[in-house]
Amino acid sequence: MLTVGDRIPSFNLQAVVSSEQDKAFSTINDASSPGKWKVIFFWPKDFTFVCPTEIAAFGKLNTEFNDRDAVIYGVSTDSEFVHLAWRRSHPDLKALPFPMLADIKRELSQGFGVLHKQEGVALRATFIVDPQGVIRFVSVNDMSVGRNPEEVLRVLDALQTDELCPCNWQKGDEFLKAA
Amino acid sequence: MSIQTLKGQLPEYAKDLKLNLGNLANETALSEVQKAGTFIATAIASRNPAVTEAVVAEFASKLDAPTLNAVKAATAIMGMNNVYYRYLHLADSEDYSKLPAKLRMNVIANPGASRQDFELWCLAVSAVNACGSCIAAHEKVLRRAGMTPEQIQAAVRIASTVHAVAVTLEAEQTLQSQSLAHAA
Repeated sequence: MLTVGDRIPSFNLQAVVSSEQDKAFSTINDASSPGKWKVIFFWPKDFTFVCPTEIAAFGKLNTEFNDRDAVIYGVSTDSEFVHLAWRRSHPDLKALPFPMLADIKRELSQGFGVLHKQEGVALRATFIVDPQGVIRFVSVNDMSVGRNPEEVLRVLDALQTDELCPCNWQKGDEFLKAA
Repeated sequence: MSIQTLKGQLPEYAKDLKLNLGNLANETALSEVQKAGTFIATAIASRNPAVTEAVVAEFASKLDAPTLNAVKAATAIMGMNNVYYRYLHLADSEDYSKLPAKLRMNVIANPGASRQDFELWCLAVSAVNACGSCIAAHEKVLRRAGMTPEQIQAAVRIASTVHAVAVTLEAEQTLQSQSLAHAA
């Protein structure tokens, strides 16, 4: 499994971005949303029980993530048609504000190294990737345990928060140059 | 509303402030952009809506939109940093400087104006907000960037006078409405 400091693998996937038939599909690749942080979270299978709660919870925080210059990509190895069917059948997913990526060839799951060895589907893994394509946070749960998206937001905040003001200068420190 | 309006509203006992304000509006030590930004930042920091309005009306046209934004950003972020770092500096315990601040201040990395000008406005606001460690730190940065004491002092003179004008006009406003209330 990739870890902090590794680069995001290249990928090119179909994604579901809407529940409306004619607007449903789009393509997302590693060059999409340039300059943004990416929160990429995997789940094992559509149409199962733990997943919709987590996915909807990420959805509710989408504005908070966007405010922090981050986009969310949800991923499983299901096809885009299965994603669309699930979106339309589940009230919590109908208006999901971020794309559901269809990793049907398992290229992204394998690239990240998050395929469950026996089941062959994605583990419940979450990655935060910075605008330069470097992974800055990794978290994986076993199949039956859901994630806490608030925690992911907290980590993103912490990753983005630096004491940039010279006010923090202590006697003897080097200085920021007012370039 | 303008600097002229403010001068007209200053009472006789504050004639020094009136004349200082007029002189500083014509100060040449700073660039037009630096001067305009310093006036606006310190007016906002002095928290008198009428003074803020007049100063912005007078000086905002000297700044393009991203620069005006940077002036406001400097004032906003120093509103936070002046309190936080003043605390760190004044607290008896060293423990606090070891704790991560956990305060976002990313606008400092990308303010949308010249880095040096932004630092100057931060210094001017720090003077109004009375954070000693902030003043010391920002002054050093500006000197390293090549600003002269006279230039930095000009910004501080503007900060001092704008602040005094804000306080005085607020008092006059209160007293006028009080006397109207008593008359009624």
